[in-house]
Amino acid sequence: MASSFRFLEDIALADIAFEAEGDSPEDLFRGATQALIETMADPLTVSNSWTRHITKTDEELEALLFDWLSEMVYWKDAAGVVFHAAPLTLKWTQGEWTLCGTLAGAAVNHQVQELRNDVKGITKHLYRVEETGTHWRATVVVDV
Amino acid sequence: MLVPARIYATPTVLQSMDSGVFDQVTNVACLPGIQRYALCMPDGHWGYGFPIGGVAAFDVREGIISPGGVGYDVNCGMRLIRTDLTLVDVQPRLERLMTELFRRVPAGVGAGGSVKLTRGDLNAVMAEGARWCVEQGYGWHRDLARIEEGGRITGADPSAVSDQAVSRGINQLGTLGSGNHYLEVQVASNDRIFDSTTGAALGITGHDQIVIMVHCGSRGFGHQVASDYLKVFAKAMRRYGISVKDQQLACAPFRSPEGQEYFTAMNCAANTAFANRQVITHHVREAFSAVFGPSAEELGMELVYDVAHNIAKVERYPEGDLLVHRKGATRAFGPGSMALSPEFRTTGQPVICGGSMETGSYLLVGTDQAVSDTFGSTMHGSGRTMSRAQAKKQVRGEQLQQQMKQRGILVKAVSMSGLAEEAGFAYKNISDVVETVERAGITKKVAELRPIGNIKG
Repeated sequence: MASSFRFLEDIALADIAFEAEGDSPEDLFRGATQALIETMADPLTVSNSWTRHITKTDEELEALLFDWLSEMVYWKDAAGVVFHAAPLTLKWTQGEWTLCGTLAGAAVNHQVQELRNDVKGITKHLYRVEETGTHWRATVVVDV
Repeated sequence: MLVPARIYATPTVLQSMDSGVFDQVTNVACLPGIQRYALCMPDGHWGYGFPIGGVAAFDVREGIISPGGVGYDVNCGMRLIRTDLTLVDVQPRLERLMTELFRRVPAGVGAGGSVKLTRGDLNAVMAEGARWCVEQGYGWHRDLARIEEGGRITGADPSAVSDQAVSRGINQLGTLGSGNHYLEVQVASNDRIFDSTTGAALGITGHDQIVIMVHCGSRGFGHQVASDYLKVFAKAMRRYGISVKDQQLACAPFRSPEGQEYFTAMNCAANTAFANRQVITHHVREAFSAVFGPSAEELGMELVYDVAHNIAKVERYPEGDLLVHRKGATRAFGPGSMALSPEFRTTGQPVICGGSMETGSYLLVGTDQAVSDTFGSTMHGSGRTMSRAQAKKQVRGEQLQQQMKQRGILVKAVSMSGLAEEAGFAYKNISDVVETVERAGITKKVAELRPIGNIKG
């Protein structure tokens, strides 16, 4: 396992929850990013005609992941897009985490894309990032 | 707890409530300045911070304001439009009508609206709400008297809204969204009208009359306002010495600078939601006219009412001015209320409650007892009992769409997985919920409305 995610059934009755895991914080971010991408649309049906490079920093890993996922939701509405992929790197330098990511996707088009849920935001309900000893895990509930 | 918690439910409804409701209504009862009771309506279920179905009133001088008590989708609400058409008129052209509605009212992930706004226009929408729409030709002046607060809440200051909220909202006017939001064509049959006098006064005359129900809110704009101020309040709470049991209950004193800033930003989002439903109404009228020929006015497409179910408002009660939070709960003022338009001073305020897309919805009216018992509040819908993931395991969207077609309900959906998540079995029986509020005397039944066509995001 480098990164993975699974949707959780009984946490958010009216919304959607997922648990992401990774061997490292960077892999954890990749797992959570993929979970959010797949919550909104099937990425295999989304092309790569729109990109946005994003850099974010924070001393706290938990705050940085929340901010990054929220940024994805923001661009979904602000640019009217869904995502195919979002490759990223995460590094710890000079006392803070730096995330460099690229959101890649296409304008919403329900004729060709399999659209799923219109995520309105990332919530703090049961939100956590933890190191389990062998890997990293995050629990995220999104409002739809 | 500073006050007791009071949940409105029959034994059946109580059993169907998830345990989160009980924890959350208890947490709400501990918030500073709360008055009388922390209330939960019978459609209550777990929410962020407050339960959905939660009602709580706070003293404006000593109490708090909380985005968790309003909901992320500020002024998510219901609108009902009547027509002079009957089922016999519509049935032969239902497929064409639903296609036309689906084409004109954008729905689903990231869908943009047809109204192109400048930043200045959006500022005007934030301040003027549905009034701006009517002035631009999206609706009729008489619509405004049939919208809560005339479609415009005063005290909305666009300078309290972030650039991010503006960017998210500027292309979304006139869009449905997804989740449990919908546009539904319904039938009012004689055998489902419970109060024909009140129904007739509200324009619901039965005889298989066609009506249209809209459920949506302030979309990404309102959510961004809530997210922005949850961050502000998380820091402000330390300064004001407030601690809460759940981060989603973050709050600030209502009279504090942070509290007042959120209140004015929330009012901007509320006005945007009124405007959103007004533009959708305009497109619904256009669609009906395109399919049936006569103009919307000739088809009798008058607004019955538009009411918020996610909002906080200052209202006067015997205790004084209170900030009433309603989250998944509807204002239900009785005939005696001077806050209502003259149109509703004999009937009481219309209350529109949406059921699942497979069952019925209800038109109710508020009572003076609601004003005395529940800060003028009642239920808003049926309430979920099953998670989205579980619902999708039980039925596929295409299968559900086919089953509903066989039962005479035509569904157009952007997302088939989203459709499966909204299956009727994932919700409480709305009739049980309605019976509860009627028996409690906080609302009176007028009519049950049966779906024949549904647009989902």
